[in-house]
Amino acid sequence: MSPAPAPAQTEITVSEAVTFPDGIPGFETCRRWVVLAAEEATPLRRLHAVDGAEASFLTIDPRAVLDGYRCDLSAADRRRLGASDDEALLWLAIVMMDPSGALTVNLRAPIVINPRTMTGQQVLPHNCLYPLRHVLMDAE
Amino acid sequence: MLVFTRRRHEAIMIGDGVEVRVLRVGKDGVRLGIVAPPEVRVHRREIYEQIRDANQSAVVSSDQLAQVAERLTKAK
Repeated sequence: MSPAPAPAQTEITVSEAVTFPDGIPGFETCRRWVVLAAEEATPLRRLHAVDGAEASFLTIDPRAVLDGYRCDLSAADRRRLGASDDEALLWLAIVMMDPSGALTVNLRAPIVINPRTMTGQQVLPHNCLYPLRHVLMDAE
Repeated sequence: MLVFTRRRHEAIMIGDGVEVRVLRVGKDGVRLGIVAPPEVRVHRREIYEQIRDANQSAVVSSDQLAQVAERLTKAK
């Protein structure tokens, strides 16, 4: 399937480094990340670690992948992000490439950034029906 | 590894703020209740490992990144 047009949230921009207090699973030493435009290809963005291990992810707005994508943040998640109930948050789903060349996207554990507090985390929801590897594009 | 024997409704404390309580003991599993401060993230280990493995398989080089971005852009 191909990505749908970008919804309004891609207008949220983050220019400075965002702090991930716990890092990201597998990249716990990376506490500061920047969000960059990936080529000309919105709604794609690149999430790049500026300290700790070298790491760079290609991400996509999950709502551009799946219409009506909705993931509820727990009260604890909101508190960690310093986010009020109606805070405008940036959601990024990590794109992966299978050994076969297929592109998949992790809709189960999205990256959520609060641009106001410049805090981010990867949310690991306890009850999430979205797949860990949602197929974005088959192998070429 | 510290090993404790706990019965139903009994708990252990970890540090000042984390409590692990046995809620039910069944034939196939034990139901636990965890109380922890908000800054302590609590996850099933296998879920954490799945996400970690997915993240590690997602790291992309600049070349790969450009390639993937191009494929996705072309498909639109």
